[in-house]
Amino acid sequence: MSHHVQAHPDRQLRYVTAEPFYQPVGSEVGVFMAAWSRRLPVMLKGPTGCGKTRFLEHMAWRLKRPLITVSCHEDLTSSDLVGRFLIEGDATVWQDGPLTRAVREGAICYLDEIVEARTDTTVVIHPLTDHRRHLPIDKLGTEIAAHPDFLLVISYNPGYQTVLKDLKPSTKQRFVGMNFSYPSPAVESGIVMKEAGIDTRRSARLVEAAARARNLRDQGLQEVTSTRALVYAGTLMAAGLEPMEAVEAAIVSPQTDDVELASALREIFQAFFPD
Amino acid sequence: MPAQTEEILEHLDAISFVAGRDARAALPAVGHLGDSACLRYLEAGRDLFFYDREAGKAFFHATPDLVRAFGGLEPWLDQSRIFLTQRGTFRAAVGYFGQAAAVREHFGPEGEKLWYGLGSEWIPRHVDSAAAYFQMPVATLVGAFPVGELERLVAPARELASGRPGLATYLEGAVRVRAICGLDGIAEWAWRGKDVLAAGRIRGEAWYRLESDEARSFVLDMLPGFHLGPHRRLFTLLLQAWTGLALPFEDGAWSMEGGRAFLETDGRSLFVPAVMPDREEAILALYHTGAHLAFGSYDQDAIHALFREIGMEHPPLDPGQRITWRPLFARFGGDLLRFQLVFDLCEDLRVDAAMECRMPGYLDRILAAASRQPVPAGAAGAYWKEAVRFLDDCLRGTVDEDLKPLLSPGAGILESFRVALGRYATTALPAITMAERPAAFLPGHSPNAARPVYPRHGGAAVPVDLDDVAPPGASGPREKPREIPQQADGSDADLEIPPEDLQGRGGRVGVGIPIPAKANGSGRGVKGPAGGCPYPEWDYRQQRYKEGWARVHERKLAERDGIRAMAIASEYEGTLRRLKKALQAQKPARMAPLRRQYDGDEPDIDAAVQFVVERRAGHSPRSSIYRQRRPQRRDTAVLLLADLSTSIMAEAGDTGVRVVDRLRAAMMLFGEALMEVGDPFALYGFASKYHHEVLLYPIKRFEDQFDSQVRAVLGGLSGRLATRMGAAVRHATRQMVRNPAHHRLLLILSDGRPADYDDGGDPRYLQEDTRMALREAQDHGVHAFCISLDPGGGEYLPRVFGQGHYLVLSHIDHLPARLPEIYLRLRGHA
Repeated sequence: MSHHVQAHPDRQLRYVTAEPFYQPVGSEVGVFMAAWSRRLPVMLKGPTGCGKTRFLEHMAWRLKRPLITVSCHEDLTSSDLVGRFLIEGDATVWQDGPLTRAVREGAICYLDEIVEARTDTTVVIHPLTDHRRHLPIDKLGTEIAAHPDFLLVISYNPGYQTVLKDLKPSTKQRFVGMNFSYPSPAVESGIVMKEAGIDTRRSARLVEAAARARNLRDQGLQEVTSTRALVYAGTLMAAGLEPMEAVEAAIVSPQTDDVELASALREIFQAFFPD
Repeated sequence: MPAQTEEILEHLDAISFVAGRDARAALPAVGHLGDSACLRYLEAGRDLFFYDREAGKAFFHATPDLVRAFGGLEPWLDQSRIFLTQRGTFRAAVGYFGQAAAVREHFGPEGEKLWYGLGSEWIPRHVDSAAAYFQMPVATLVGAFPVGELERLVAPARELASGRPGLATYLEGAVRVRAICGLDGIAEWAWRGKDVLAAGRIRGEAWYRLESDEARSFVLDMLPGFHLGPHRRLFTLLLQAWTGLALPFEDGAWSMEGGRAFLETDGRSLFVPAVMPDREEAILALYHTGAHLAFGSYDQDAIHALFREIGMEHPPLDPGQRITWRPLFARFGGDLLRFQLVFDLCEDLRVDAAMECRMPGYLDRILAAASRQPVPAGAAGAYWKEAVRFLDDCLRGTVDEDLKPLLSPGAGILESFRVALGRYATTALPAITMAERPAAFLPGHSPNAARPVYPRHGGAAVPVDLDDVAPPGASGPREKPREIPQQADGSDADLEIPPEDLQGRGGRVGVGIPIPAKANGSGRGVKGPAGGCPYPEWDYRQQRYKEGWARVHERKLAERDGIRAMAIASEYEGTLRRLKKALQAQKPARMAPLRRQYDGDEPDIDAAVQFVVERRAGHSPRSSIYRQRRPQRRDTAVLLLADLSTSIMAEAGDTGVRVVDRLRAAMMLFGEALMEVGDPFALYGFASKYHHEVLLYPIKRFEDQFDSQVRAVLGGLSGRLATRMGAAVRHATRQMVRNPAHHRLLLILSDGRPADYDDGGDPRYLQEDTRMALREAQDHGVHAFCISLDPGGGEYLPRVFGQGHYLVLSHIDHLPARLPEIYLRLRGHA
């Protein structure tokens, strides 16, 4: 028992050094700062590509805290989060999982798309999310108290695929919820312009067209045109593609295989980018 | 006069006074041709008269014209002998003699020879056909085509010989088909008709007369131009994208035989013609009509203001509660069309300018489309040019001073009316006739006040219905004449409902004054059947449950149709095969070994290593170090709950396809797919008649096999009654809770909003109840998802089911293939 050592204790946590561009659209920065000041866990909800991850990167940079991101998937077990024993030479070595590491060292731990993980996995985070702020590690027989700067953030996309995979209400209630959606046209246009490096005219048109395309939400599109898709389209334009080529590549073909839907999207963008 | 001639004339006198008289009367026209010619002529006349009195009379009567047209007796005298070869040819003969002269004059000797030849060949074959041919006015027969093409018109009919249906039936349709689709269309139409004829005489004849829907739709398919039918989904999508409106599309009144194709609306549906000249014009028409809808041409308040302007307190309504425009124009009397067009010009400018702000380049597109067409001639051209000038000026910002109010953001139809009145007083635009009017509109534009309209409330959303006249259970606007619902188990036909309850919609009495809907109409003590499971119902107005208000009865569906089930199976064989293949391709994933088992065929290396490590570290880890290879049991159970209300018997927009047809196929494919997947599933249908008789039809319970019995029931599905969804959801939830699966999915398939005969015309009542029922289901661990066919579903589905818990399928044809796919996606593939 005595020969447990930390595996790679010197491996550096990731700090966000350069400021990630993030354009606040509402009070989200204030809400997050307040939650942070009281170390309340945060839940980011919103559709794909609306800036959840970017927001968090930005906040990590602002708070100067390291950020550990875990993309959750169906086979993610609790030991993937908490840690496991490894054999090193003749000894067994305990290796902290990402969550444990964040808890010990006071990082922001971001569990992206938490609903994808198995439900038993989500249970291990419960003690971290209330006043106890500790993480029990069965295999070590210990409980570690969270570093004062530790913060847990989860995200999920309340979309169509997740009907069967909703978070349990008991889990949800432990978080400060923040809703994200696509920004207002003026803000979104600014974002696209800055991120993609295109002129105002083109970014404004992309955004206007996207507003129309987003009306198609219930018509078989699983995800509507995201800000990220617009940025991609803008980036491709900046890289020299014709506007409609860029739209086709970054928006139409990734979004749908449905012929009529694709032709509707094309028709919408075409109105803003006539040849 | 030679003796022989005299002899023939006497002979004719002897058999009939008329014969002698007519022959003598005709003789002078022939006299100058010489004696032998005269004799030949009279012999032919006599033979004809002996053979058939009517034919003979026609012969003598037509003689002067024929001789003049042909310049003699050749070749018509010889031609006329053909009528002596068969019995009963007199009608053909009358037709021939009546028209031959005109044919010769118009089409020359060759044309006449062809015309005669094509008709006469039918005399030995089928006398009635020959009669139909010769009697058809030759102008109609030849139409706008060269006479030489007659051969191509008639030739396909030879194939149909042996008497039925004969030219009589064929020609009439063929001439119309030729006018619509050109000569190339005829052969195809006739060829297809042969198959139809083989299937049944009556059906075949209806085809050739163009009386049946199948013939009409076939012809429409062949029409040149842009067919809107296959693109309706695109149009739905575009309308929704640009205006946020989800309106159903219906077939427009536009007939096949011409006139300009317009896309119109009554404020509630879009009426689309089968064909428009090209895609651009169709799309512009959609945008323009969408602009009218989005920018308030049919806003109730604006229309009321408009009628106040002319001194009427309320606009007049027709029996369907639609506003009729007539009084607006009545005062212009004979000059009504001119004012209407001026009004259209102003109103079109207003909405087009507003649309331009939303869609840059829109006006350019209209102008470009207009410039590709010639300016129409006559009066229509003046209006056309004026419309072009308006739009041009609008683009350049140089509109006439009096038009400027139309461009201000707050302008409405009232401003257009005022501006139009001002313009009309001074306009130089010419008077125009009804026939010229259609040409006066730019591409995509159409008369605005063409139909009575359902006023719209506050612009965007379709009114959630107070003035809906459709029976409950229907999604209002899509209601169409429908099949008489079948009787299920003898106790629940629509017919048993007292007629006064069919109106349970609040309704409007008098002129345009909405009467508040009375809640929970029926309290009339109608007794439902005994028994059933009582369920509470949520009354949102009181914010409380009405305990035991709804009673659910489980019934078996009696109708079975194994043959139709097989037909559906074969129709969708390809889809099913693809589906199964896709599922099998996923099988390796599904067969994935179960990891970390306590026993199994092989060690789980990861688990084993961890076990050893933890043992060494001094722990006593769990010995779950095996892998098992066995089909993984899916942990999802699904109950498909299908709305079987009357509205599923309605046609779903496109030709002849009813909702129920696709529903049967969809449920069948769903069952087949689920068999392949192996998830536990159940199929239920539901309908309702008042709160005490909600009917749930178990088609396949969880424990039942999906066998030919179940398939036959699916094949025999039919619609009945209304849609009390909340109670059905509660009952289905109770069935699901019994199932031990980890995930439970309640998949609801519906074509309209919840409604029942006793909902008092308040659509919100049952929607709120459904919402509560779904919330209860959620509390029991049952997740619900709704697949709706209601194009207006976007208005209430988010409220009832919650964002992301529903999907509107705009195209019913996609349902069978999409349903299993949606389920698989919901359930997660891995």
